[in-house]
Formats: sequence, C-alpha cells, structure tokens
Amino acid sequence: MRNLSSLKKEFLRKWIKGLRKYNSQKKNMNLLERKKAIKLSADLAMASTKDKTTLWRKALFANTSTKIDDEQDMSTTSSTPQKKVIRKNSTNSYPLRKRITGRRKILRRNHTKERVEASFIAMRLVKKRTRKLKSLLPGGKFMDDSCLVDETLDYIESLKAQVEVMRCLVTSSELFINQP
Amino acid sequence: MLHCLNTSSNLVGGGNISDMTVLERQRARIKFQNEHQQFSGNGFSSSHQQQFMMLGCDSALGEIVTNSMKPDPDYENGFDEETVKKRKTDNKVDLNSKDKRIKVCVEEGESKIVEQRKGQKNTKFNNGNKNKRENCEDSNSKENSKGSEIQNQKPDYIHVRARRGQATDSHSLAERVRREKISERMKYLQDLVPGCNKIAGKAGMLDEIINYVQSLQRQVEFLSMKLAAVNPRLDFNIDELFAKEVFTQNFPTTGIPSEMTNPAYLQFNSAQQLVSCCGGLINNMGIIPPEIGLCRNINAPTSASLPEIFLDSSIFTHILPSSTWEGNFQNLHNVDFDQARSISFPSQPFTGMVEASNMKMEM
Repeated sequence: MRNLSSLKKEFLRKWIKGLRKYNSQKKNMNLLERKKAIKLSADLAMASTKDKTTLWRKALFANTSTKIDDEQDMSTTSSTPQKKVIRKNSTNSYPLRKRITGRRKILRRNHTKERVEASFIAMRLVKKRTRKLKSLLPGGKFMDDSCLVDETLDYIESLKAQVEVMRCLVTSSELFINQP
Repeated sequence: MLHCLNTSSNLVGGGNISDMTVLERQRARIKFQNEHQQFSGNGFSSSHQQQFMMLGCDSALGEIVTNSMKPDPDYENGFDEETVKKRKTDNKVDLNSKDKRIKVCVEEGESKIVEQRKGQKNTKFNNGNKNKRENCEDSNSKENSKGSEIQNQKPDYIHVRARRGQATDSHSLAERVRREKISERMKYLQDLVPGCNKIAGKAGMLDEIINYVQSLQRQVEFLSMKLAAVNPRLDFNIDELFAKEVFTQNFPTTGIPSEMTNPAYLQFNSAQQLVSCCGGLINNMGIIPPEIGLCRNINAPTSASLPEIFLDSSIFTHILPSSTWEGNFQNLHNVDFDQARSISFPSQPFTGMVEASNMKMEM
C-alpha cells in the first residue's frame, strides 16, 4: 500500500506509451483488435512497472511476445493458417490422453484405497484448487507451492492497481466524449 | 608479511581441523577464501584480526551446537571457556579468568557486527554460506540464553523446534518449515483478498482467492473492451491524460482502510461511475429509462448506503444534456453537501473534480 499512487502513475505512463506505439504501427483497427491491443499493452505495462523480478512477470513477457510474434506471422505470411490448424489438432489430442490417464489413476486409487479419510479428501480439494490457481496465474506451471502464494500476492496487488487505473481511464474518457 | 599471516592462519585452521566437525572445516575454507579476497584491499591489520577472532568464536559456537543435545550447562560453560581460551592464546590476547563468560558474549556481538560489515563489503561472498552462518549464529545466541532447554536443531539452516510427539528427522522438519512459511503467506493473502477473513480452511480460502483473481482478470478484459468501444482510435492525448492524472490523484488510494475513512467520497465515485455507465447506455439507446439506472445503483454493492433522493437527483442531473454540465456539477456538489453534513465530507477532492471538468470545458 505504500507507494500505490506512484505505482499507478508509472503504470499509466508505460501503458500510454505502449498504446501509442501500437497506434503508430497500425492505423485503423476494428473493435476486437483494439481491445487486444489495449489489453496487451496494459499487461506489458503491468509486468514492467515494478523492478521486482517475479516469475509471473517474466511469464507475461514471454506470453505477450509469443502473441505478438503470432500476430506478425499472421499478418506477414499467408500459409500460417494451415500450420495453426495442425497445431490445434495436436494440442487437442494431448489433453484427451491426459484425461484418460487421470481417470485410470483415480480408478486405481479407488481400488486400493477403499476407506477414504476426511483428511485425504481435504488434501485433494486443496490440490485441485492449487492446480486451478496455477492455471490462472501467468507462468503458474513453473511455480512450487510456497512460491505460488508469494506470486499470487504480488499478482493480485498489481492487478488491483491495473483495474483501478483502467477504470479511471474509462470514466475520464467517457466524460470526455459525453461533453463535446 | 601477507604470506606469513596467511600461512599462519592456514596453520591455525589446520590445527583446529583435527578436532573440528565438518561444518567447521567448511567454515575455515570459506574464511580462507575470504581472506584471499580481502588481501587486495586495505592492509588487513584490524579487520583481519577481527575476522580471525570471529572465526575462532564461530567454530567454538559450532562445537557448542554439536554438543547442544547435552543438557548440562556446566559442561557447556567449561567447553566454552576452554575453546575460547585456545583461540585467544592463538591471537595473543590475554584473558582474565574471571570474566571469560562475559567476554564470550561481547565477542559474540562483535562477531555479528563484523559479519554484517563483511556482508556489505564482499559482494563476491557466497550468499548461501553467509545465510547458513548467520542462521547458525542466531540459533547459537538463543541457545546460550536459554541454557539447558531441550531443543531440536537442524544444524545448518534454520532453527526449528519440534513439539512433543512430532517427528525430528530432517525431512519432516523441512516439511514443517515449508508449511509454516506457506501458512504465513496465506495470512497475508487473507488480508489482501476481501471477504476471505471469515473463511477457515485452506480449500475455502483458495476458492476465494481464485474467484478474486478471476474477477480481477475479467474486469481487466471488460475494461479494455469498454475502452476499445469508447475510443474509436487509440489516441489518448496528453490533455486527457492530465485530466486523468487529476483523477488518479483524487482517487482514494485503493486500500480498504482509506475507503473506510472517507465513505462520502467513495459514494461520489461510485455514483459517478454508475452515472457514466448509465450515460453511455442511454446514449446508445436514445431513451431515458430511469428505472434501469436505479436498478443498477441498487445492485451496486456500495450504493446500499446511498439515500434514494441522492440517486435520483444525481442521475437526472447527469442525464441532462451536456450544455448544462457545469451547473450539474454544482448541483451535485450542493446535494452532496446537504447529504454529507453529518459525515464530515472532504471538500478537497470535489474541487479537484470540478476543476477537471472546467479544464475539459475549456478544451
């Protein structure tokens, strides 16, 4: 809570800068593209505001860079859609296998452990939720348990700041538009 | 001379090694490396001496640690004095037999200071090792002060105490430390996430955290969509940015406590946002549905404390066309003052808002 206003200002500055860059690259975008650009630049700004190097920031950087690369690929080469389809197929096949193996495991457990204890259930619940939280955080796959909680703390803080700044911008721009 | 001292220290180290543990040997090695690093710097007359004493003290304490499971205080004392004496004679410092014990304590403090200084000086020094040593020293001081308590030590890293009936092998100790750390962090998280205080149990808390993160992420999505919808071209000019800076300055600093301190301003803000939402909606639809606005306001969590009249007036004043914008602001201002006489309304943010609108009017 100590320097939140300064953090917000920094975030805003970087965000606006990123937006300008984006704007200079592409002139007329449709709504979805604009939204994507706004979100990307906001994410990047959020990841770069603090000089702390946490995992999720790095992951965000990596994700956004890959996204941008993809977009550039899309815009430059025409043969990418086929590749993408192939990729999609391959990615679709992996989760199925995983699911099957998971079912098998559960079945085995049921066979071996007939008596299910309360603590066991609780542990499973916690594990499930941790997995979900990991999937929510950017780069959550690479975190262990203790690290995860730290990262979540940091992530929530900066998300809060981001949401507030964005809300401010929305209200102000709406005011701006409403009073021509 | 340098070499001479170097070798002497080496010799002393070697002499000690005969009755040292592995830990001490490691320390001696680290120390040795350290000396090499320091040679390039200033003449090591005092610092070297101090460090040397520290080494002696350190190793002595290490021996105490290894013997700490024996609860006999006399034995410890004797050991202490003996080892310290040995080092002292090595350093050619005389000691009175009366206040050896006190000097041990003093030296301990000194060694810690040196340790800190050294940490600042030598950036090359291996961090992990330093941590080890510091932790060890901490535990040592505790040990000395508490005397013959039955303590359980993981000798290298962290001071852990196992309660009765708990496992004492290194794996379960490490596991326990990890769990404690996690639960501590979870407490911080509990403070950060609203509505998480009442929930006991890790699963529930995790649920709440997940919901919160998801809602925040969705908010970001929504807001970016809205921004994209509002701005047909992505140019946020500087004037607007300035106006917004006024906003951000006026905005209460996020924390829940600050929101609690000036609820009136929060009311204003929420009303403002809702009104702007309604405005956008009305602009889109072209009709004026006051019911919708009211419903929205009632649905919003913060507006439960808002009186109905305030809602009505604010909405209607904002629904009016923008030529009377200024007047509306004044209107709202007055109304709010009427409402907030009892709540001790902060007038500072309001003037800021009005100024912002003025700026925009001029632009």
